[in-house]
Amino acid sequence: MKPLIQVNNLSKEYKLPGHIFNRKTFAALFPLSFEIQAYKTLAIVGESGSGKSTLAKLLVGAESPTTGNIKLNGQELQTGNFKQRCQYIRMIYQDSGTTLNPSLTIQKLLDEPLKLNTTLAEAERQVLISETLRQVGLLSDHMNFYPHMLSGGQKQRISLARAIILKPQVIILDEALASLDPSLRSQMINLLLDIQQQMGLAFILISHNIGIVKHFSDDIMVLDNGKVIEAGKTAEVLAKPSQKYTKKLIMNQHFQLFSR
Amino acid sequence: MNILDIRNLSIILVSGHKRILAVDRVSLSMKEGELRGLVGESGSGKSLLAQAIMGVLDDKWEVDADRFHWRGNDLMRLSVAERKKIISKDIAMIFQEPMSCLDPTTTIGAQLEEAVDDEQLTGYFWQKIKQRKQAAIKLLHKVGIKKHDLCLRSYPHQLTEALCQRVMIAMALARRPLLLIADEPTAAMESTNQSQIFRLLASLNQLKNMSLLLISHDLENMTHWTNRITVMYSGQFVEAGTTKQIFSTPFHPYTRALVDSSPHANSTFEPKSQLTALPGSIPILQHLPIGCRLGPRCPRAQQACVNAPKVKNHHGHLVSCHFSLKETY
Amino acid sequence: MARENIYQEEEFPSPLLQLWYHFKEKPYIMLAFGCFLALVILAIFAPIITPFYSSQNHLEHLLLPPAWSDNGNVSFLLGTDKLGRDMLSRLMHGASFTFGLSFIIVIVSAFIGVLIGSLSALTSGLKSSILNHFLDVILSIPSLLLAIVIVAILGTGLSNTVLAIIIVLIPQFIHTTRNEVKKEFSKDYVLVSKLDGASPLRILRYSIFPNIVEKIIGQATLAQSAAILDIAALGFLGLGAPIPLPEWGAMLSNGIDLFYVAPWTVYFPGLAILFSVIVTNLVGEGLRHALKVRKAN
Repeated sequence: MKPLIQVNNLSKEYKLPGHIFNRKTFAALFPLSFEIQAYKTLAIVGESGSGKSTLAKLLVGAESPTTGNIKLNGQELQTGNFKQRCQYIRMIYQDSGTTLNPSLTIQKLLDEPLKLNTTLAEAERQVLISETLRQVGLLSDHMNFYPHMLSGGQKQRISLARAIILKPQVIILDEALASLDPSLRSQMINLLLDIQQQMGLAFILISHNIGIVKHFSDDIMVLDNGKVIEAGKTAEVLAKPSQKYTKKLIMNQHFQLFSR
Repeated sequence: MNILDIRNLSIILVSGHKRILAVDRVSLSMKEGELRGLVGESGSGKSLLAQAIMGVLDDKWEVDADRFHWRGNDLMRLSVAERKKIISKDIAMIFQEPMSCLDPTTTIGAQLEEAVDDEQLTGYFWQKIKQRKQAAIKLLHKVGIKKHDLCLRSYPHQLTEALCQRVMIAMALARRPLLLIADEPTAAMESTNQSQIFRLLASLNQLKNMSLLLISHDLENMTHWTNRITVMYSGQFVEAGTTKQIFSTPFHPYTRALVDSSPHANSTFEPKSQLTALPGSIPILQHLPIGCRLGPRCPRAQQACVNAPKVKNHHGHLVSCHFSLKETY
Repeated sequence: MARENIYQEEEFPSPLLQLWYHFKEKPYIMLAFGCFLALVILAIFAPIITPFYSSQNHLEHLLLPPAWSDNGNVSFLLGTDKLGRDMLSRLMHGASFTFGLSFIIVIVSAFIGVLIGSLSALTSGLKSSILNHFLDVILSIPSLLLAIVIVAILGTGLSNTVLAIIIVLIPQFIHTTRNEVKKEFSKDYVLVSKLDGASPLRILRYSIFPNIVEKIIGQATLAQSAAILDIAALGFLGLGAPIPLPEWGAMLSNGIDLFYVAPWTVYFPGLAILFSVIVTNLVGEGLRHALKVRKAN
């Protein structure tokens, strides 16, 4: 099946402040390539500082890569051109408390991407907003609420609604499930799986929780200090990790499971 | 002997004319040297309970209990000042996000020295200064920080979260407490650091026979370290028992749902299939259900759940439910 | 479809309404707010509702004491001054000069200040620094002195006074706006808007301004009390409003020569200035307090 997203040789180096003629560079991400197909999920795992968030920022367009490019359906994505990118690649952030503007109602929050990127009329936008709210399991009455009136789980659903309202093709989950309570996490995972089936999305899950990764993803990529040290199908990598780092990650999480 | 014996503790939020029962008759009893887990999601009142034990709630909360015994002393009968004296000597607490609990404008060394107990120092005041420094270094060694020089001289923002949490534990140990309450100590950390902190706490519990009350929202994480677990939901007591009982044969539907949402249970599912989850969400303080607060979400709820259930004891496994799952095992 | 909100009496107010509820809590702040509104209405309608014309001379009633003293006349409630003009009418008309002009001054300088401050926050580096600091030289000179200098250059008169005070008040707004906008820019929801393809202007208007408007208003009340004092001071020095105009500072300077004979011609304008400054400060205080309480909740 044709890949939805193709990443070739993507890398990112930051210039450290220093002498003008001898600027040191800090390699946040070494060149890497991968592809994802529709209906599939790629999990990116690693400790903090391993380059996961840099990769997320590069994919969503917040930073421009030093080398390499990202192709969506064969078409290359230009950096800085947010309008082109944000329709196809959307992101859900970790902390929904700070990514929702506290003085806008939910309706205005969801209206904004529509106003910026589509040419729908006012009435059509309203209909689309209510439909999307219903799809994520909230009521259309929630349109008139402010973010501070909603609980954490509901705020994450609003972030999900904001992501799917433009009918994208790829959604990046940047530790989106880490701050939720366990029971809400299961609900959110069920919702995400449903939506993936309905809309044919590809997910990129960035997480350090091996349990979620094991259940949710098809492929996995392990990062350590900006380098990909292991990649492959989730089931194979987690069953037989070849690198010491991966083994350590798995051991730390499964420690409790085995010794009971 | 029960070191801490709390029976039917209620915490009421007084706001304007409304009185909201944030914590509804929760009982907790701990033995000496026990590592107890207190599990509850956000809004379950577990942090409120810990703060009520320490006595640090402010005026808008009213605390009421049938029994509140500490090492046999009835704390309800003492005056506030005496209660504070006993509690501050014997109970210590550590919190989430340790970096924000440390003073950002003074060095770790200064803060540790401030925490050292005056009564354990002897001699003239210049000797006391030296002893204070020595005591601070010894505390750091106790929590496993070998390079104490660098640590004592740095400021909190220069250390990692895990190190800051160790420093917090060191400060908590300064007065040699008999009970350490850990309120979600590892919520902000990654898994490697989490297991380090838990290992440290467990070793302190075993070596110094210090009881430990570990509060968390992650049931699965705690099952390795704790002897007994108490589960709370939305301010009500749900279930309590040994770790094995809770994890392998949960009696209450809520505990069962928590166990089902842990990665261990998830691993038995087909990848990318639907997980079992309780519908609905946690009730907010303004709209608490009557009777058993799990009622609206519980799959086994019936008419009788409008009344709050009583606590039943099955061989040390306490559960508060009208229709517990005991018969299914 | 079933209604979500089954608790009909439960309200979920918008952030603005919440601010209003917190503002309403303290009775003395509400009293000050009422007086503030009364002063604004007075400033707008004063020429219509005064009992006498403020420049009308009643030569037969020179230096009449206020109505409650023995020699007073009830039709001249607060007495008359040395040219026979009714004090009450002059005070009311003066509200539209001292208070009303200060209001306009604050609005104009806030507008210019916010504009420059936002431009400064949108750019970065040298351009931003220049925009931020080029009016700082104004901050280094005491506002009254600067107003005197400007009036000395341009000549006396009310319009030049107004111009001088506007220039003096702009830098504070620039700094406040720039700091607040920069702070807001670093917040996550603004980043999200940017990634959605919003232009910086759009982000400024929809995502940032609703969150900083209240702080700017707080700054504006501070500026207004300074403006009232400056207008009155310049009027007192004779550099502001020309003599016949009933501006409170000018009235003060008129009455000072005859202070021992007719103290009411000095007390009443002074009290009026005091009253309007206190009222403005209390309103600003209430707003800041309400903002703090709303943030804490």
